[in-house]
Formats: sequence, C-alpha cells, structure tokens
Amino acid sequence: MRVVDIIRAWGRKPQPIRLDRSTTFQAKYFSFKELLAANTGLLDIIAELEEALQGRRVFGLAYVRTQAHRAVHHTLRMIHGLNYIGGRKYLSLMVVLDQIDKQIKALIEQPQSARAGALVLAYDGINKEMLDWVGGKSANLGEVHTALQIPIPEGFAITTLAFERFMANGDLVERVTNKLNGIDPTHPEKVAEVGAAIRELIMAAEVPAELQAALAQAASQLSSQCPQGVPLRLAMRSSAIGEDSELTFAGQYQSLLNVTEDQVIDAYRRIVASLYTDRALMYRLTKGIPEEHMAMGVACLQMVPSVASGVMYSRDPADPAKPDIIINAVWGLGPYAVDGIVAPDLYIVDRDSHRILTHHITTKAVQLIMGPAGGVTEAPVAPERQAGACLTRDQIMQLADWAVRLEQHYGTPQDIEWALAPDGRLVLLQARPLPLISLERVRTQQATARYNDYKVLADGGLVVCPGVGHGPAFHVESADDLMRIAQGAVLVAKHSSPRFVIAMAKVSAIVAEVGSITGHMASLAREFKVPTVLELKDAKTVIPNGVMITVDAFAGVVYEGRVEPLLALKPLETSVYRETTAYRTLRQVADLIIPLNLVDPKSSYFKPESCRTIHDIMRIVHEFCYKEMFQLSDLVSYREGAAVKLNMPLPIDLYLIDLGGGLELKEGARRKVKFNEVHSIPLKAVLKGMLHKDLCCPEPRPIELAGFFSVMREQMLAPPTRAERFGDRSYAIVSDKYLNFSSRVGYHYSILDSYCGESVSKNYITFSFKGGAADEVRRNRRVRAIARILERLDFAVEVKSDQVDARLLKYENATIEDKLEQIGRLLLYTRQMDMLMNSEASVETAAQSFLKENYRLQH
Amino acid sequence: MTTFSVLVIDDEEDFVTTLVNRLQKRKIEAQGVTSGEAALEALAKADFDVILLDIKMPGGMDGIETLREIRKRQPQAEVILLTGHASVETSIEGMNLGAYDYLLKPVKLEDLLVKIAAAYEKKSTQDKS
Repeated sequence: MRVVDIIRAWGRKPQPIRLDRSTTFQAKYFSFKELLAANTGLLDIIAELEEALQGRRVFGLAYVRTQAHRAVHHTLRMIHGLNYIGGRKYLSLMVVLDQIDKQIKALIEQPQSARAGALVLAYDGINKEMLDWVGGKSANLGEVHTALQIPIPEGFAITTLAFERFMANGDLVERVTNKLNGIDPTHPEKVAEVGAAIRELIMAAEVPAELQAALAQAASQLSSQCPQGVPLRLAMRSSAIGEDSELTFAGQYQSLLNVTEDQVIDAYRRIVASLYTDRALMYRLTKGIPEEHMAMGVACLQMVPSVASGVMYSRDPADPAKPDIIINAVWGLGPYAVDGIVAPDLYIVDRDSHRILTHHITTKAVQLIMGPAGGVTEAPVAPERQAGACLTRDQIMQLADWAVRLEQHYGTPQDIEWALAPDGRLVLLQARPLPLISLERVRTQQATARYNDYKVLADGGLVVCPGVGHGPAFHVESADDLMRIAQGAVLVAKHSSPRFVIAMAKVSAIVAEVGSITGHMASLAREFKVPTVLELKDAKTVIPNGVMITVDAFAGVVYEGRVEPLLALKPLETSVYRETTAYRTLRQVADLIIPLNLVDPKSSYFKPESCRTIHDIMRIVHEFCYKEMFQLSDLVSYREGAAVKLNMPLPIDLYLIDLGGGLELKEGARRKVKFNEVHSIPLKAVLKGMLHKDLCCPEPRPIELAGFFSVMREQMLAPPTRAERFGDRSYAIVSDKYLNFSSRVGYHYSILDSYCGESVSKNYITFSFKGGAADEVRRNRRVRAIARILERLDFAVEVKSDQVDARLLKYENATIEDKLEQIGRLLLYTRQMDMLMNSEASVETAAQSFLKENYRLQH
Repeated sequence: MTTFSVLVIDDEEDFVTTLVNRLQKRKIEAQGVTSGEAALEALAKADFDVILLDIKMPGGMDGIETLREIRKRQPQAEVILLTGHASVETSIEGMNLGAYDYLLKPVKLEDLLVKIAAAYEKKSTQDKS
C-alpha cells in the first residue's frame, strides 16, 4: 500500500493499519512538513521583529516575551522534526537552543514589581513604559497627557492586574483553558464554537469583590466631579496587551460608548469577552501566540457630550511627503466621522506655513448623540447649523499643533481622534500610529519625475542604510580629515572604511565610490543609522567638495541642493518608542534571534556548536533537513519513492520524491523521469508553465549594464560559497495531487506547496519567495514586482522586507492548475528580473511584462 | 494484518477517548488513562508496544516523571511525547530518556496515527534483531 493510500484510508473508512516500509517514510514526511511549517513561522517572526525594531510602533515587554516564546517554540519544532527525520543525529542542537533560550529568558524575565500594583490607575501617573500594566491604548493616552500635556477626558485605566484577578476568580481560567485545549485552527467552525462558549463563560462570571469595589470607587470619584444633575457616562475602550494587538486588531475588540455607572461591570465583562472572538482566536492560534500572554486592560474615559468630533491624520497617508495635516469633523459624537453616515467637513492645514489649504464644509443633516439611558442614538441637526463649519480657525490650528507635536514625540505619523466639548475645549480621545504605506511604497507613488527639478550628481548607488541626508559634501582623504569634519556634513570618500566610525555621530550621510553591503563599515552605518550609499561611481569627481547635496539613500541617488520632498520623509528617523524598556529589551533579544553567522554550509564552522542565534539554528536545520530528506531514498526502496532527477530542458536541476501516484517509475536503476512520466497534477502544471518557450531556453537578452553589475557585484562580494550555490538543486516532493517544491539559490529561496484535487475545500496554493542575489534595493523591488503579479493572479499577498508570501484557497482544480502554471513561469521569470530592477518604475514594468507574457523583457 | 498495543496517557479526556476509539477501529489494542498514576496501574497489568504521553498534566505526576517510570517498568515500549507548550528543558529530558518522538499540539489525528504506526514499526524491527 502506498503512502498516500494510507493517508486516504485513514481519512475515510477505518482500516486495520498495515505496515510496510513506507510507514516510516510517511512519518518522516510529516515531520518534514512540520519542520517546514515551523521554518515559515520563524521567518515571519524575524520579519516582524525587524519591523518592530524600526521603532515606529508601540509595544510592551509582553510583546517581546511573546515573540521570543514563539521563536523558541518554532525552533524546537524544527529541531524535533530534523531529529525525527535524521534519526536523533542532531540532539546537540537542543543543547545549543537551551543556551540561547536561557540568555533570552534572563533578558525578558519580568521584575516582580511589574505585576504588583493597582487594579485601577489614574491617567496622571501613566506613561508609555506602562503598556504591560494598562494595555496599549491607555499607555498612549497617559503618555500624551503626562509628556505632552494635551488634554484628555477625565478617566481611569483598568489594569491588566484586574484582568488577571478576574480570570483567576473561581475556576474561570481553568474553564477557559479547558475549552481552549485541543482547539484546532484547521477547523474554523470548531474555533467559532469554542470562542462562543468562552465568551458565554466570561459573561456569566462573577467579577471579584475587590475589583467591583475598585471600579465603583473610581466611577464614583469621577461622578462627583460631574456638574450637579449630570449623571456620569463613560466611554469604555479595550486596551489589550500580549501582542501588537492595538494595531493588528484595531477595531476588533469591543469599545462601548455612553456606559452608565451601573453598567460598568457588565461592560467590563463584554470587553474582556471580546478577547475571544473567532477572529482574535484564529489569529493567536495561527501565529502560535500563547493564551497566557494575553491580557485585557480597559480605558475608561468620561464621555464628552461632543458638540463636534472627528479624526485627524498628521500626514496624508497616500503622500506623507506633503506638509498636509488632514482634519475631518462632524457634529455630535465621533463614529459618524469614520463610518460614512455623514460626509464630514474637511480641513487641510499646511504644517509649515500654518495656512488652511482646504476648508470644505459639507451639509451634515444628522448627528450621533448620547442616549438618555446609555448607548448612542441618531438625532437631526438643527437646520441653521447643518451647513455650518464644525470648527473655528483657532480650533483648527490648535488641532494642527497637536498633530505636529504628537508626530514629533512619537517619531511617526499619527491617527488622532478628538472631540469638542460644549464649553469650547478640545480634548484628545486617542492617538495611535497612522498605518502609513511604507516609505518604499511612497517612493513608488512619487514618480521619479517628481525630483526631476533637481540636478542628479550621482546615480545607481548601492543602498547600505536607507534614509535621507542633507548637508555640505566633505571629501575625506585621510584620518585627519575625519577629525575636521563638520556637524551635518555628508562624508564623501573613495573607499568605505571602518575608520569612518569616529565621524558617524556627526555626519548626515555617507557616500563612497567603493564598498560592500556586507562590509564592516556598512554594519556600523546601520548601527548608527547614517543614511549610506556605496558604489557611487566617480562620486568624488562628480560631487564637488563643499557643495550642498541631498543623499537619497532609498534610491541610491545624490542630488545637488536641498530636495525638500525627500527631506520631508525624515521625521520617521527618530522615535520615542526607541527609548522604552520594551524596545531596549527587544533590541537585546533580537540580537539572539536575528543575526545569521552561519552563512557557509561548506565551512568547518557550519556545525551545531557554532550556532549563536536562533537564525543560525534555523539555517543549519534547514540545510541538514534537505540532506536528510534526500537520504530517505536509502530507507525506502526505489519504487516507494527515491529521489529521481527530472529529465527536461529546464534551467534548473529538479529532483523528485514520490509519495505515491506522482510519478511513473518503472523497475530498474533508472534515476531520471521524463515529463510524460509525471502524473502529479500540480507538478505537471508547474512544469507546463516552466516549459513556456520564452522562459525555458531564453536567448541572451540585452542587459542593462547597471543592473548586471549589481547582480554580479553581489555575487562576487558575497562569501565564496554563495556564488557556488548559485546552481543549487531544486526539489519537489509529489503525490498524485500534492506538490511541495523548494528551491534555494544562495539566500534566495522559494517554497511552493499545493494540493490540487476534486475537493474544492482542500485545494490550495501557498507560495513564498525570499531574498536573492542583488542588493537590498533591487531585492525589495523584485519582491514588490512579484507581489504585484501575484495579486493580479488573485492571490492574497503579504510582503515583509524581502519576502513575499502568497496564498490562494479553495478554488476548482482547473483554476488551481492554471495558477500553478503561472507560478511555474514566475519561478523562471524571477531569475531574469534582477537585471531589470534598476529603478522604481521597473517594478511596474516587470509586473506588466509578466502579465503580458513578455517574458523576454523586450521593449 | 498487524496488531499491537497502545497506551494513551493525557489529562484531556475527550482526546483520550477519541484517539482510543480511532485506534480500536483499526484493530489496535488501545487503552487510555488520564493521569500518570493511572498509567502506572495500567503498566502493571499489561505490556504496551507504543505509549503516547502528554507532558503537561496538572495535579499529580507530570509527563517526564511518568516517562522515567515507564523506562524502568517497560523499557521496550516506544514513547511518543505530546505537548501544547514546548519547552527546551522537557525536550532535552524527554529525548535523553529515549522518547521516540516529541510532538507539538495541535496534531492532526491522522498524523498521530502515522507516528504511532511508525513507532511500532521501529519497535518490531528492534525486536526481530
């Protein structure tokens, strides 16, 4: 009985287990899949950490702990998988992981005092450091209030300690844990069922007496400050920790408006219960976030019976380079400003000139107001006010001033909710990072033509540390020059050198004619965050000493003069988040996770004992696992699935392992199969794509010189084995309906996993592509081009730095086959794309060429 | 037709019942218990080829303690460890105590069955040699 038949047999009618050699093989194959899934999980975590390290978003120690926990969890999965496949040969990797794990734990262990504290806290004492105690929303509000003195409504924060007490009361936590045990993310209907049951448990649970008392006292204190005869009404908003939930789950957790004093306890339960919505549960399950890392704080703010309210963006999300501050306003309470019921007033303020650029007043016939018995209700706006402006000029300018201060403080554009009280006072209700389209995206949108007003002095450089720098060019010839360099100057040199480190705190940018992205100076530049461009041909000749220049270390270009639109992108460089304990801890923890020291599998250093980081372990496991998988042919007889080579005129060496029904293998020692002997439906589709006449044996095409050199340079500067690995094998594990295709070329690899059968609900394609030869800018462009192509092929696509993940679920097999054929073409096409990636415009050109089947990139 | 005996030890009763059921339907002699202590009783009464052991069992004996006892009493059995919370320490301990495999929940039942079959296969190969 073949492996796949056994799987099917178990899936359908129970049969007595039969044992043959393929049982072992099949068990190893499951471990292999497990290992690959863990590998994907780890790649995600690394990309997420790299993003968090940019300091553009808020997180607490709980986030750091969760990420570290996930990283160790997935690494362990990989190690166990490898040991299973390799017959316990790699147990020493566990000892290595244990050492790293201990170092990480020493960094993230929380001091006892952090958990101690109050159940309820006033905003006066809350700042950004307290995220773990009060959740993201409350920590931010406290920070705004204490650090910037921007008025917020009166109120209090319910802490995560209160949450712990609530969950620990009676046997609630056990009952919730019991429900969560055995929950399987592959069965969404079961997840929904469990979620509903847990929410029910929470809604029925008793709130501990001490918490009831603390809430009653806090509410009554607020109530005593209300004017005579005006009852206290609260806005209660979720403020979760345990992940970057405030960003991921914006709007997912419960927020309740106009809560009366006697509704507070019930509202608290409802908000806590919202931790267990189907969506939140699914997210945590699929991301491997432990439930015990979750906690819910609640922000309780006195309702402002707003005359008007709205939303303000400190930047235009579509074009943050512009000086615009965007303000929306409606009459009454805020929700109508965002949910499209009323077209809001629009005010646009120029942050530099303080002029109001747009003053667009709409007709606002209805408004949302506080209901007398709690909740909110719609009401008509008095006819004479309908077409009136919600804000006066002074009020607009006051809000704009907040936007500028908040952005400066947090170092990143802000999304702000505000309200105008009946006494004419403005208050801030919420401030959070504005999810900006990444700078690279912004750069794409700003056509290169935008900077054509400025003279380009040098172009085509290698970006080593992205950013923008402006100042007088300063030619460095000797060590003495380094001592004389002025604050804010741009260091211009022939060769890069680690000696430049002594000037790095002073200079606004570095450019050099020669240097490498992996060089010592390059890492120093990144550490000091100095925008740096290397490989700028004749830089010292074309950039005269003393001339004012702007270095665009996103595109690798140097302009003469001051390029304002570029410099406007600079505020993102500083961030108050970088000063938090959580950030500093993440920095240290990330150093045990992210750096890759084992780059050369052929080196004698490439062994378990040399691993210093999680990434090292991951790399070594990945390498060993393919070796082990391909030794599986020693275990199983030839007929049962040895690795065989595909005999086809393709520019890749493809080796195949059959799990059953995927290949037609005849008796004998033949180790090659032809196309017509491939029966695996998904593999056949991919191969069909690869066989496209313009891809499988392309004629030499004209090469853009700069592009060619970038690719060659990266290959030549890379450690020797990287160049050697250029011709590595690709592997495919197949059955009649299944394909797992993996291809690694140096740092560039792609994994394609697909099931393609009659059952629509089982069919899927997941495709992941990462890295590759060429410098970072080109890699990033390539990934974005791939993402565009996949999006237009209907895939759900996610891009993180130089990795793109795409997924397509539940389509008819004919459609899946069609998409696989396209991926087959794409796999070969990516090899030709690098040369083209010489400008931002090439991202779209490359995508378009593919979609128009112009694979040879002919103009 | 092959048949062999399996002991399932997990504090989660539903899981034990389902798995034991599935195994029995495939003509495997399967027995389930929900604690380390109960496992020791079962071990005293019968020999098992494959044992599936949950590491985290609140209350009495935990999985590692139970594994130590299994090693003393039935060293020939192949033990598959199962846990929802991976820890490096228990991984090292478990593997040092000769566990056959260490699986992280959630595991699909089908995958688990394959691992159980493969564990038995290994044991029977060793028995023969």
